[in-house]
Amino acid sequence: MMAFLLSKDKGIESDVVNTKTINAKQRLSIYGDGYGYRLHDALSENYPAVHTLLGDHDFFKIAYEYIDRFPSQHFSLRFLGSKLEEFLNENYSNEPYYAEMARFEWALRKAFDATNQDPLEVKALQEIPIENWGDLQFTFHQSVSRMDLHWNTPQLWAAIDAESDPIPPEKLEYPHAWLTWRHGLINHYRSLDVDEGWALDSAMSGGSFENLCEGICEWIDEEHAPARIAGFLGNWINEGLLVNLKYD
Amino acid sequence: MKYSPLGFGLGLRKEHYHDILDSPSDKQPDIDWFEILTENYLVEGGKPLYFLDQICERYPVVMHGVSMSIGSTDPIDTNYLSQVKQLAGRTNAHWISDHLCFTGLDGVNAHDLLPLPYTEETIKFVANKIKQTQDFLGRRILIENVSSYITYKQSGMTEWEFVTAISEESDSLMLLDINNIFVSAFNHGFDPIEYLDGVPAHRVQQHHLAGHTQYDDYIIDTHDNNVVDGVWNLYAEAVKRFDDVSTMIERDDNIPELSEIMKELQMARDIYAVTKDKSSQVTNQITSKSNDSV
Ligand SMILES: [Fe+2]
Repeated sequence: MMAFLLSKDKGIESDVVNTKTINAKQRLSIYGDGYGYRLHDALSENYPAVHTLLGDHDFFKIAYEYIDRFPSQHFSLRFLGSKLEEFLNENYSNEPYYAEMARFEWALRKAFDATNQDPLEVKALQEIPIENWGDLQFTFHQSVSRMDLHWNTPQLWAAIDAESDPIPPEKLEYPHAWLTWRHGLINHYRSLDVDEGWALDSAMSGGSFENLCEGICEWIDEEHAPARIAGFLGNWINEGLLVNLKYD
Repeated sequence: MKYSPLGFGLGLRKEHYHDILDSPSDKQPDIDWFEILTENYLVEGGKPLYFLDQICERYPVVMHGVSMSIGSTDPIDTNYLSQVKQLAGRTNAHWISDHLCFTGLDGVNAHDLLPLPYTEETIKFVANKIKQTQDFLGRRILIENVSSYITYKQSGMTEWEFVTAISEESDSLMLLDINNIFVSAFNHGFDPIEYLDGVPAHRVQQHHLAGHTQYDDYIIDTHDNNVVDGVWNLYAEAVKRFDDVSTMIERDDNIPELSEIMKELQMARDIYAVTKDKSSQVTNQITSKSNDSV
């Protein structure tokens, strides 16, 4: 039965009873059709903008190819689309904005049901002894994803989400830094200045306040570095990006 | 023997979260309980669990899953079952159910409820897996009859003989889906009343009522439509035969307003009331007649 669903193996036909009105082949096709539709719909639910960008016809086609290539390995359909970006990169290398949209939507999907964690409050920063600021390290909310995008993907996504007039994919002069996360129950995304993008990457991979202040000097004067980083921290806290600080 | 009955419930769907939760506590929708789709809440956090926790504060909840794959020759997925057990703790689930089918093989999931051959060998195998699952979860589970579109040539008994044997051998309970009996009876040409007569009443814990899509030669179990008259009639027959069963409307697609589904739930309540009333009158007549003759 599984061989029939996954690779259209007709061996099972001889195990199934034919009746006057409906034969074994027709009966099995109810399962075969249902399998394709169900997985197509699940993929579409997790990637509505990829679906819209590709159009029904092409999305239908890639959904079936994708399912062939990456059959579901998890009990939940929630994870069916985990390789779609990779798949689109391989199969639509001339239209890389499809894969980039898949990446963006998968990050939003991750944010939607990531672990609940209480965001840090501003007073946590105020309580840090001045001599410990240099060692300060940061833990981010599990819903946070950081990405550099080469296309106007978030704008495309927003236009599709709002069902407003479609806009064309546009390649950017240089990649832009973006961030997706969930604050409370609401998903958010925003762009980052190049120095904030760098600071966030550094902080997310264990960089200390001192490391951040040093690194940011690539963009600003040394004397303004601590204030710039402290400003980022204030924003990150207000936006619910941070869940913990440590300084030992 | 059975769990205490809960009355008349609905399948919880995200489209209805606000209608259910935004009403003041003295004007809550008149729904006795909710059945949640287990897999929808096996997530880390966010909206699904946020709404679920609030529903659980107000209503009794039972869990209905699609991933046990109890008929598969793959080993029991203890990672999945641990998550189910944890969710049952979080929701205070009155019971846990899944389907008599397999959903995958060799680690690949078809996400469909695939039918099993009705043989002695399958009965032994599945009953054993149910027992192991019950041991793991520390409670008896409910197993639901599925709609099916094929019959295997190996099958040597009726579906009701098969479900009965499995339920007796594993000492599990039954979630009898009235629509699925109706659908399979049409697709395979058996008598649905014989089915109802053939299952052990003391194991029937819950009913599903749902809509389907009728084609010329077969019916597909789509759950995207209202319950049809034939299924309501079959439900009345079930009410005559089984006591203390918790009944609910199962709608999975083309989800209407809560008020629309509540009308179907009221229909179930009315059929139950009228049928039980009639059968109690008949019982009274029989007892008074036998008293006369004494
Ligand atoms: Fe059902």
